[in-house]
Amino acid sequence: MSLIGPSQPRKPSGKGGAHRAENNRIYANPLPLLFITPGNTRYISPHRVLGLFGLSGVRIENPHCEGVLDPATRSVWITNSKDAMILWRRGFFGKGDLSRSEPSWYTRQVNARKAAGKYLTSEEIREKRRKERQQFKLDRSKALAEAAAEKEAAFAEGREASTVAIPSGATWKPQPAEGLSLPSVHPEQGIPEEDPIEEDPVEEVEHLQLTLQEAFFLLWNLDCLTVLDSVTDEAMGLKSIWSAFKRVYHPPGIAPNLSSTYDGRFDNPFLVHYAAYHYYRSLGWVVKGGIKFCVDYLLYKRGPVFAHAEFAIVVLPVYEDPEDQKTSPFDLNNASPFSWTWLSTINRVNSQVQKTLILTYVTIPARSRVNPEVLSSPAALSHYSVREVVLRRFIPARMRD
Amino acid sequence: MEAHPSHAELSHVLPKYPKTAGSLLQTYNDLKLAQQWEALEVLDVPSCARGAVKGRRPNTEDTLFVVPCSLAESLNISWFHQAFHDLGKPPHVYLAINADDSNIVYYKLSPGIVKPAV
Repeated sequence: MSLIGPSQPRKPSGKGGAHRAENNRIYANPLPLLFITPGNTRYISPHRVLGLFGLSGVRIENPHCEGVLDPATRSVWITNSKDAMILWRRGFFGKGDLSRSEPSWYTRQVNARKAAGKYLTSEEIREKRRKERQQFKLDRSKALAEAAAEKEAAFAEGREASTVAIPSGATWKPQPAEGLSLPSVHPEQGIPEEDPIEEDPVEEVEHLQLTLQEAFFLLWNLDCLTVLDSVTDEAMGLKSIWSAFKRVYHPPGIAPNLSSTYDGRFDNPFLVHYAAYHYYRSLGWVVKGGIKFCVDYLLYKRGPVFAHAEFAIVVLPVYEDPEDQKTSPFDLNNASPFSWTWLSTINRVNSQVQKTLILTYVTIPARSRVNPEVLSSPAALSHYSVREVVLRRFIPARMRD
Repeated sequence: MEAHPSHAELSHVLPKYPKTAGSLLQTYNDLKLAQQWEALEVLDVPSCARGAVKGRRPNTEDTLFVVPCSLAESLNISWFHQAFHDLGKPPHVYLAINADDSNIVYYKLSPGIVKPAV
């Protein structure tokens, strides 16, 4: 995220108390399961009596969400918007496939049609910010060109050049253009070409996309997700989900006699990444994808809406037995020793955005030591170990204390 | 995936290249619905074993080419030269890198050195 930005006048319900309180209210639950303590502690209630015996009368409310496995995109799709909202708001699971984070495509379409969107979605705010930055860059390059021309002219005439003010990120302010804080999409441009005039009802085509790791975490540990098979539309049991998720990483349409080279392998990318995902999730971090910062995962303390991610995770698989790596049919990323330039690049990218790089080493058990039969159930995950190494750049000249 | 409305437009290319079907579908959906590109066309690029997408950004005249790929793939320069050649040598091609969580990162690739616009 760039530190440079035009200073904006404080809006009454901006990132002040009201906005924060609203976020705290909406995103109050860290997980999809709700723990309801029955109220009414004044009178003798079964809850209090149970409490005397050391038993808790807390009731667990399970939303029982449903999703469909899509092997082609290696994800689980949640098409029911109510389930999608629950999973996003309680734990920030998943991502709208047509949006930055929360599924907001439908809202954006409706906003574009009305062109009177009072509440800008995050994508619209991003567009506005990008346009302002573009304008700033144009102004700056114009000023630079002017300054250069002025210097040329001054040199030719043999006099001192008069200084031209070159806008810097901190001092430039966006000129108030036509229209105030409305989205800059005109009604005609927002609507698809086929109906420029009539309002065709917008159909919701967006879904919430969960990675296989997020989906497995929800269904195995919290039991709040049911995954349907994409072909038969039937709910899958744990055993079939476990083998289906692993099979997603096998090449599609492989002959049955060849598929044994892919089964019974501890270095299936699903297992390696799930080990890291489970590790950080169970420690309480919100784990999201990190492709935008050249890393595997980003760790948020409470969630993306509260603060930027503090940590960037790179998953580095380590084979306990090097022979396994030689016979591996999977081409695991970052399994071989990395180069200094690679590490340096990733560290630079992340320091620019004030994130700390963490190298997460996941040890893949040896097939010689652990029987591959254990892979038929999720208990195999106990054989993986996760260690992390935190990386910070040390500059001797500047970091004297 | 078959249930998605965009599947019909991609049906002539998707079954041919099952490995890249997911990234093509995600990229096509993003361009059509989220980025609102116009005049979208799906091209078959056999040398890269995948389909590519051709279209225009809203309110512009230039036709742009987008080649999808997934984060798990390893690509190299010769693959890319081939892609350039087969798409008719456009001035630049966008590479759409798809992640499992449906994030797409677009990279603009041009042959040779190109000075930035501003």
